[in-house]
Amino acid sequence: MEDMLEDTVLVNLRINGRLHELEIPAHKSLLDLLREDLNLTGTHMGCMTGHCGACTVSIDGRVAKSCITLAATLGRAKITTIEGLTQDDGTLSALQQAFWDNAGFQCGYCAPGMLLCTVELLETNPDPSDADIDTALAGNLCRCTGYQSIRRAVKAAITTTKEGAPQAAE
Amino acid sequence: MGDQKPETEGYVGQSVRTIEGRAPIMGKATYTNDINFPGQLHAHILRSPHAAANIKSIDTSGAEKVAGVVRVVTGAQAAEYIDPIPHYIDPAVFGGRSATIRCLALDHVWCFGQPVAVVVAEDKRTARYAVSRIVVDYEVTTPVIDAEDALKDDSPMVVPGWDANMIMQIPFGGGDVAKAFSSADRVVKTDVKVHRFSTQPIETRTYNAVYEAGTESLTLYGTVQNPHPLRHVLSKILRMPENKIRVHAPVIGGAFGMKMHGHPEEGLVCFLSKLIGQPVQWVEDREECLLIGAREQVHSVELAVTKDGMILGLRDHYLANTGAPSSCPGWGMAMLTGLTMPGPYSVQNLDVQLSAVVTNKPGWNASRGYGKEVTALALELSVDNAARELGLDPVDMRIKNFIKKDQFPYDSPTGLIYDSGDYEGVMRKAMDIIGYEDWKKQQEEAREEGRYIGIGVGFELTPEGGTLPGTLVAGYDSSTVRVAPDGSVRILTGVTTPGSGNPTGIAQIVADELGVRLDTIEVVQGDTTTCPYGFGNSSGRSTIVGGGSAAKAAIEVREKIIKVAAALMEVGESSVTMKDGIIVSGDKTIGLEEVCYACYTRAYDVGSVIDPPLEATAMFKPGLVRHTPNEKGQINPYPSYSNAAYVAISEVDVNTGEVKLLKFSVAHDCGNVINPILVEGQACGAIMFGIGAAMAENITFDENGRQLTKNFMDYVMPRIGDVPPITLAHHDSPNPVNYKGLKGAGEAGVGGSAAAVVNSVNNALSPFGVMMTETPLTAPRVWSAIQEAKKAQPQRKVA
Ligand code: FES
Ligand code: FES
Repeated sequence: MEDMLEDTVLVNLRINGRLHELEIPAHKSLLDLLREDLNLTGTHMGCMTGHCGACTVSIDGRVAKSCITLAATLGRAKITTIEGLTQDDGTLSALQQAFWDNAGFQCGYCAPGMLLCTVELLETNPDPSDADIDTALAGNLCRCTGYQSIRRAVKAAITTTKEGAPQAAE
Repeated sequence: MGDQKPETEGYVGQSVRTIEGRAPIMGKATYTNDINFPGQLHAHILRSPHAAANIKSIDTSGAEKVAGVVRVVTGAQAAEYIDPIPHYIDPAVFGGRSATIRCLALDHVWCFGQPVAVVVAEDKRTARYAVSRIVVDYEVTTPVIDAEDALKDDSPMVVPGWDANMIMQIPFGGGDVAKAFSSADRVVKTDVKVHRFSTQPIETRTYNAVYEAGTESLTLYGTVQNPHPLRHVLSKILRMPENKIRVHAPVIGGAFGMKMHGHPEEGLVCFLSKLIGQPVQWVEDREECLLIGAREQVHSVELAVTKDGMILGLRDHYLANTGAPSSCPGWGMAMLTGLTMPGPYSVQNLDVQLSAVVTNKPGWNASRGYGKEVTALALELSVDNAARELGLDPVDMRIKNFIKKDQFPYDSPTGLIYDSGDYEGVMRKAMDIIGYEDWKKQQEEAREEGRYIGIGVGFELTPEGGTLPGTLVAGYDSSTVRVAPDGSVRILTGVTTPGSGNPTGIAQIVADELGVRLDTIEVVQGDTTTCPYGFGNSSGRSTIVGGGSAAKAAIEVREKIIKVAAALMEVGESSVTMKDGIIVSGDKTIGLEEVCYACYTRAYDVGSVIDPPLEATAMFKPGLVRHTPNEKGQINPYPSYSNAAYVAISEVDVNTGEVKLLKFSVAHDCGNVINPILVEGQACGAIMFGIGAAMAENITFDENGRQLTKNFMDYVMPRIGDVPPITLAHHDSPNPVNYKGLKGAGEAGVGGSAAAVVNSVNNALSPFGVMMTETPLTAPRVWSAIQEAKKAQPQRKVA
């Protein structure tokens, strides 16, 4: 029998606040690590080429496409996935609530990217223009909504943020 | 709950959200790809690198040597255990040619990407690697790529043994076409070329099959729009009875037709699980997903018109390049393009003919619009072209030819019966809400500054709820409503959702009909073992028939609850009302839970007035459909005809050919609206499809028929900045026979909006004389059209 001999790497990652120590093949993407090793299936596979954004996570406060991020390069990184936006008691963050109230998604497959990119946008720019919103979400394809309700949801989230509600659960 | 007052005036018509809808934004929805069983194996498919070839031999020994590989299967090996894939819509039912389609090719491949062999391994990566170790000896033959070439006498045959590369040729129409053309002032011809498209949901297809040897039964978890009909197909492929097969569709990440069945991987994954005795999963990658096409048609529309713009007759002999044969229902799209001619226009002299051609491109599957969007594109581009030739306003010309609102029900020349509509009203509303006249002024001002703003309109008639005789594309559907002893409600439907929100709409309907609170209702869909037999999601049908049947079942259950409530309160039934779960008679009030518990537990005293359990299954079959052919042999497969008008405002940079959309409006007639926010979402999603189709999405091949479009950099779908603000209004003419006058809201809009975009670009460039009637309007093509028009214009002036 022929074997694909694999190098493994030990990584330490803080994901949604919890520390994980994992031994993984060197070629493993962060997407596969989240989905296969940690059962965090809220992060989705849409293309594996970095074009759709369904696999978006936040790494040390910046959004990244987990399908083209090698997990082995991320020693000690702090990662937030879509699961990390909801509070422990199941309460939605203000942003999630805005997406729900405004039907900012249909099938929801694109939701990880839309939500995490908006979190980053609002952290860096609490009062974004329409053009800012379009730029922040440009890396994320949605095939269902036609984007109208996504814009509306982001704007609703801006209003609630201004009123002082927190963006995401810590 | 006893002293609660009803809080609402009914849920129907309100933009409510339900709790099930929340899971995706919490990252908690379970899509098929999220399911992972103990002992899970993974399949990877070897696909043909050639468009046409004979398979001389396959050597799988290299793959078998890879550690972690469980099984390698070729087409010849598979054919011992499994049968060909039955067609979703068999062309033979309509008198066409029907090919034998297998999960894996046997000795011949007829398109790039056709499955040839499969590896099952312990993990995805091993399976993929092992596939690269399979050696196939192909004898490459000459492919046929172009539909016109396929019809030449000396063309190679795509399907061995056929005598023509044609699924079928069908005429549609009637009247006196020759007379219409001879009495016309002008005949305006417009060649409309619609390119190959693909729906591309962000979730690709995934199947996970689990065979249980002990019970000889199989469960397929999959991205499936139509679980029950697929179960039938699987039973034929696998040689198993239907009652041993369960098809379960978890949450679906968008479908748009792509997840209608007939795909080779469905049966293949089931067969592999049965063969190996372990769960086998296959996840489509994006490159594979892009192989599935749709909509590539060439129209040559001739309008016989008077000089004041009346259309006397229409002729259109069109070609559809449906690619290689497939068991998916895609090819039927081409048929419905012709059937839906001449759309909203009152033209009885019609000579339309489809030639559905097979080539060595990969096959089609259904795509939102299902052929009716191409009708809209062909008609709307032709009308604009004719209006320009005649020097008329394109809107005036449309209104002049629209079927008038007092002409319904209207018999179309192809045999359809349009239920209702006010096309002129819809058109005017779309223009009003965008400020049409104001944009005309802005256009003039912009031109003075050397900027080119365009205003384009498009109209689309979208028959919905389609049903074809002799196929599992059915018009009716069924639902079960169950109320538990605690008063909570479960609805099980035969229809399914691709993520569009129909469970919310159905729950709203049941909440009102039953008289309970919306948050006490749960909707279960997409499982052949728990749900009543149904036909799933297609043709904008889910709320029409899913909602209609659930309403009927809810009414039955309500009657039982009222009877027992009356007995408990010792009052007459007719005095009892129930709303939001509160049951009232005069000054007496009783809670729903108390009554339901009594229904189940007091069958020998107060409960004896009914037969428990509190459950009913009902079927809803819309009217107006006619499957018995009329004297001309025509049928009407649709119960309702939603329609909409679109206005697009664009600006073209004449130096680069780049088009920027500035604004969009739609006025929509989908009958009564159950949930405005969800209907709006459907309309906006369809407009985005139309924008993508008109502007950039395209699938290309090299001269040998190898597909060049492999990812989302090649297949350019609209991103958020590409879709302008959309204003939406309803202008509803309720369907006279459907429950609540529903017409269907999911499918409409792709063609009307694509046409509006193209017409707006032509309108912007009218000073140059540009008239583009071939999609997509990518910047280089728009730029070239401007250059050509500039060259042609001086000559035209001379002439
Ligand atoms: S899966 Fe990562 S961008 Fe598409
Ligand atoms: S909601 Fe389906 S892809 Fe965005």
